[in-house]
Amino acid sequence: MINDDPGARDLVAIALRSFREAILLVVPAEQRFTALMIANALGVAERELAAGTAAEPALAAAVGGLLGEDGDLPDLLPKLCAAIDAGRFDTPDQQAALRAVLKDITRARLALSNPKRLAAEGQDAER
Amino acid sequence: MSGAPKPTPGLDPARKAALESWLAGQAEARAVAVIDEGRLSGGAISLNLAVTLEIDGGPLAGNHPCVLRTGSASGVSASLGKAEEAAVLRAVFAVGATVPEPLFVGADPAMLGAPFYIMRRAAGIAAGFRMVKSEEPRRDLARELGRQLGLIHRVRPGAEGLEFLALPEPTAALQAAADFRRWAGRYAASDPVLAYGLRWLERNAPPAGDLVLCHRDYRTGNYMVDGDRLTAIIDWEFAGWSDPMEDLGWFCAACWRFGRNDREAGGIADRTDLYAGYEETAGRRVDADAVAYWEAAACMRWAVIAIQQAQRHISGTEPSLELALTGRMLPEIEMDLLRHLDRVGGFPMFGGGA
Repeated sequence: MINDDPGARDLVAIALRSFREAILLVVPAEQRFTALMIANALGVAERELAAGTAAEPALAAAVGGLLGEDGDLPDLLPKLCAAIDAGRFDTPDQQAALRAVLKDITRARLALSNPKRLAAEGQDAER
Repeated sequence: MSGAPKPTPGLDPARKAALESWLAGQAEARAVAVIDEGRLSGGAISLNLAVTLEIDGGPLAGNHPCVLRTGSASGVSASLGKAEEAAVLRAVFAVGATVPEPLFVGADPAMLGAPFYIMRRAAGIAAGFRMVKSEEPRRDLARELGRQLGLIHRVRPGAEGLEFLALPEPTAALQAAADFRRWAGRYAASDPVLAYGLRWLERNAPPAGDLVLCHRDYRTGNYMVDGDRLTAIIDWEFAGWSDPMEDLGWFCAACWRFGRNDREAGGIADRTDLYAGYEETAGRRVDADAVAYWEAAACMRWAVIAIQQAQRHISGTEPSLELALTGRMLPEIEMDLLRHLDRVGGFPMFGGGA
């Protein structure tokens, strides 16, 4: 496959910016909900393309720490699920350690899907 | 709503004529005219059409503002068919709950393309984000919603006309956990938050208790208010026999506060008012531990429903931007679950479970 420039991330970013600046303000009220959903979807896609797999090594280390083994995140997550199913995280202490890592994973996903909620999470944690 | 613009699917002339003729028979009227007033916002599963019935003759002669409610192309596993939903509505109307009276049930899918029913139209608004916008907590409303739930929970297994509702096995909580595991499908093997939530629900399930008719989507956004007056509890498609604390847990769950986390009862008031109203009419006390269990179940239920909604889009049966984006709500739902389990999950709740 020949990858011409600009790439997917750049195209989605400029499409979203143009949509916000030129279209969103003039869409009729009855289409506004759809227009906001389009902006939201493009925003998620842009952040996902920008983030790539940058967050994965740190999360893989955390999950690997729970399981006592090394590996890539896509391989470790099903193993973590199986370990949970097998009862390896049933005690209150194990659950607390598990939840700390699960929250890190979930924060990384929120950074893509809902940065506003992620910001609110940060404020909660500081309280 | 679908992402691509398409004509509002109202009633085409042939179907409208068939409906009018059928209604005339049902209403023992000389004639019935159906005035189509357009689609109402109705969530992602059902389709609601505002209609006025002009009934000429018979016991219901006169003009009746109504809602015609019918299913959409694909549902989620937990939802009732429209004829069943109407039967539930009839049962809760009979115990005096504030719900729209169902008038006509069209169980034959041939007439409008899917089963439907027609109920009276309630005044007011339901939108959750507007409901939580008030300077002061809406304590009277929360208390009234508690009373209403107590009334609804007076409908018990054996009630006439509700034989189609299955009893949970072996208990309401374990049935729910099993349902969630089934609906989560392959996602429970790759998403550790789902795996943990399911495991927690299975091991902390409360023992068998009362079984009552639960609304199962009793929350801000699913009741209508005109000024300060509750006018209707709506959206009954998930109703079923369950633990009465399930509805209280759902109402109070973090995902249904519309950003007002300081008002734990649906973003409108404290739990105190909701619970007090409930105990007035239900004939049972609120069990705070069981409510906490069902709040965790609420997050999990919403998570697996979001997965199913996304699947309707992904599978190609119903391409929709709204359904697609619902799938990407999973992280925030899961964060609500994790925060809730941070508060209650560190100790065995009902003796440690299985």
